[in-house]
Amino acid sequence: MQNDTHHLLDAANQIILGKSHKIRLALCCLLARGHLLIEDIPGVGKTTLAHTLAKLLGLNYQRIQFTSDILPADIIGATIFDAKNLSFKFHPGPVFNQMVLADEINRATPKAQSALLEAMEEHHVTVEGKTYPLPRPFFVIATQNPSHQIGTFPLPESQLDRFLMRLELGYPNHEAERLLLKGQSRHSLIESLPVKLPPEQLLNMQHAVTQVHVSNAVLDYCLAIITFTRTSSDYHCGLSPRAGLALLNAAKAWAFMDQRDAVLPEDIQAVLAAVAGHRLRAGNNDSAAIVAPILARVPIH
Amino acid sequence: MNIAQNKNILIFLLASIGLIVFPHIANIPISFFIFFYFLLGWRFISIWKPTWLPNKLLVFLLTALGIALYYSEFQGIFGRDAGTRLFITALGLKLMEIKTGRDLYLITYLAFIVAASQFLYEQSLLMGAYILFVSCVLLATLVTINSSKPEALVALKTAGLIIVQSLPMAVILFVFVPRLEAPKWALFNEPRQTKMGLPDSMEPGSISDLGMSDELVFRVKFKGALPPPRQRYWRGPVLSYTDGKKWSQVSNMRFGRYLDKLVLKGQPYQYTLLMEPQNRPWVFALDMPAEFSQTLRRNAHYQLITQENPNIRAEYSLTSYTDYNTGYLTRTELKDTTQLPSPPSSKIDQLVKQLHGFDSPQEQFIQQLLNHFRKEDFHYTLTPPLMEENPIETFLFETRRGFCSHYAAAFVYLMRAAHIPARVVTGYQGGELNQTGDFLEIRQADAHAWAEVWLEHKGWVRFDPTAAIAPERIERGIDTDQLVPGGAISYAPTSAAAQEALNWLKQTRQLWSTIDYKWQRWVINYDNKNQASFLSSLGIADIKTMVYWMVGTIAAITALLSWILLYQKQKTIDPIMRTYNRFCKKLAKRGLIRGNSEGAKDFAARANQTLPEHASTINHITALFIKLRYGKNARPEDLALFNRRVGKFKI
Repeated sequence: MQNDTHHLLDAANQIILGKSHKIRLALCCLLARGHLLIEDIPGVGKTTLAHTLAKLLGLNYQRIQFTSDILPADIIGATIFDAKNLSFKFHPGPVFNQMVLADEINRATPKAQSALLEAMEEHHVTVEGKTYPLPRPFFVIATQNPSHQIGTFPLPESQLDRFLMRLELGYPNHEAERLLLKGQSRHSLIESLPVKLPPEQLLNMQHAVTQVHVSNAVLDYCLAIITFTRTSSDYHCGLSPRAGLALLNAAKAWAFMDQRDAVLPEDIQAVLAAVAGHRLRAGNNDSAAIVAPILARVPIH
Repeated sequence: MNIAQNKNILIFLLASIGLIVFPHIANIPISFFIFFYFLLGWRFISIWKPTWLPNKLLVFLLTALGIALYYSEFQGIFGRDAGTRLFITALGLKLMEIKTGRDLYLITYLAFIVAASQFLYEQSLLMGAYILFVSCVLLATLVTINSSKPEALVALKTAGLIIVQSLPMAVILFVFVPRLEAPKWALFNEPRQTKMGLPDSMEPGSISDLGMSDELVFRVKFKGALPPPRQRYWRGPVLSYTDGKKWSQVSNMRFGRYLDKLVLKGQPYQYTLLMEPQNRPWVFALDMPAEFSQTLRRNAHYQLITQENPNIRAEYSLTSYTDYNTGYLTRTELKDTTQLPSPPSSKIDQLVKQLHGFDSPQEQFIQQLLNHFRKEDFHYTLTPPLMEENPIETFLFETRRGFCSHYAAAFVYLMRAAHIPARVVTGYQGGELNQTGDFLEIRQADAHAWAEVWLEHKGWVRFDPTAAIAPERIERGIDTDQLVPGGAISYAPTSAAAQEALNWLKQTRQLWSTIDYKWQRWVINYDNKNQASFLSSLGIADIKTMVYWMVGTIAAITALLSWILLYQKQKTIDPIMRTYNRFCKKLAKRGLIRGNSEGAKDFAARANQTLPEHASTINHITALFIKLRYGKNARPEDLALFNRRVGKFKI
């Protein structure tokens, strides 16, 4: 089963060059049934990553470009009078897709943001008293410009918490950039991508991830990390219980991708920056730097 | 956040400082005290109203005020009082400028000095406990400054633990570090409040209420058996001169060398006497002191006088004999002890004649007189009526109520009227036996006056007229627990029920007294002399051995502590971890040290790079470890295999 993930990653690495670790984390997030937030400056491949994953996973994909005048109805859909049938009919919005790319989410007003975030959390949408379930699997990749740019509404901490992981893509390295410049257009490459992991298989995998064993030793380590963030003066507020669960789920997915049936402390360390970075928010956006004290000071016994 | 602005830390710090300076209320002028607490209060309010903090100019003015205060009570730059005041004022002023974490540390260390300075004034056990407590709070302040989430209880607990852990070391240093004797000129000789002791004169007629306190005067610990209660007379000043009302010491005491040789008989009593601080150089030895230390002197009245400062608690080793003969009477003594302000009145003469004072042997007359006190309507009371005029006659013929001074004075007067040399001796009588500590406690209430009569071939002989009228007073002692000022005197209860009721109270007091005695004996009086004798009892004779011992014990304690700590740690680790740690230790020999937060897999990967030739073994061991420690279904044989592989692993 894990071989498929390898093929998928290999294919993705052909499209997005030099970012294998980030792609791996993105897939890990997907397997852990979480949503992904990509935060970076425009043009480093955020959309391309989302698009590639959607294509490789064979998911229906829709992109929502968030702007300052977007309304909740533009995201979740609206009930419109059907003149032919003389009745009101619900027209599902772009959120009714298996994979949704919410581009530049922090450019929208908080009202629009929360419409999407509610759907993410509840896995269904309620319009005028009627509940419409969202498709499965349901995966949101939101991109965000650094919040110091003009015309942005930064997501509050409570909404950041809904994203299992936050990634920064960053610039590609020299070698990758050269290949990128030399190679074909990414668009056409993505169009020609085959489906590597059909949705049913993805659901199976998501289920398998939950079966990954977590030993007491790993739980101890996980608890030690949580306690450390709550008592250390480096952080404003520590990790919430939800964050702890997220950390463990992501670590499970990571272990699964590593073809193991048990979580190791290394798995937690691998996903820690992506899972905890945006939740700790210690003054900067560099997740790796934020969690560095945890990695250095919480001992593994 | 700046720790100097943290409310919790500041509250903690200010509270502990308030506690520390408080006992100094008895030691510094009230103006300093008020000034300090004014500043402390100001700072306390400023925690919530930071704008109220004084600016630089105001701080400068406050400093000037402090200096002015210091100058107004100026007592010199050196010495205990000046130093304490300076530290307290500086501490108060420093509170006004807490800006950085460094200021907090500075204040804490200043506070430690102020706390220690309290010991320059008082060294009691209770004060020691109090200072230890405030040190604990101060340590907790330091703990709070250095913790991310300050919590009062946790910090106090940590501080308490630190103090408890440091106590054994403190005890060892206390016992072994050579004691420094301060040179005489450096002694703190500031006047201090001393408890009122025995007066050097007595005027029974002018006292209508003998205030009695149960304040401790001295303690006595006997080497062997205790003398019987009727022998427990602790000799103080001897009053020979009288003007009819007042009895006082004679000024001429230089006849000591003309005295006859003292003949001592019977059983010697060896004891140590621990005097509480007092304002007179008197040492109340058991009648009659025979052997005493160099610092003591026995004057012509057989009273012991110390040549050292009586203001500090002192311990003396003495030997006394209760059976003695002072020999002949010197001419000075004869003159002094037969002196009367005026010829006795006819009434007195009548009484002496009636008791055959002039026509029978002296001893017979004394017996007659004592019988007279016993048979006639004389009463023992602590609240006698006033006898302003002619106190002796008023007492003998009218009121007939009085306490020891009245009886002793009247007795001596009548002796002198019969031309028998006699004098009043004051001091203490009796003392309460502390059962737990097996020592006698002599309190202010045990103050007593008795008479001495010179008899041919016997020398000075003690007669206690109070014993004739109130023998219980001598045999049993006054029960100070039941003393009600102005009320009837009560002797130690005889009924079992009453005894029972008071027993617990008495026992508690005795226990406390024992502890206090030990504290004085072993801690406060632990000077270089005591240290030397204590250490030599352990077989440590010279400084070199002492230092060896000190270093040795400290090393032993350190070793013991580390063993306990390490052993505990090892016990909590499970067998898998223990074996894995053994594996890590083996790799560490090749410079591969597993990081504190390095997982087994990462470590194995790193090890493989350095030791490619062992890669397969390392991987196998690591895989086994991961399976055992993190895996779902590890089997017991895996552990055995793991142990075996690690055991065989060699690099």
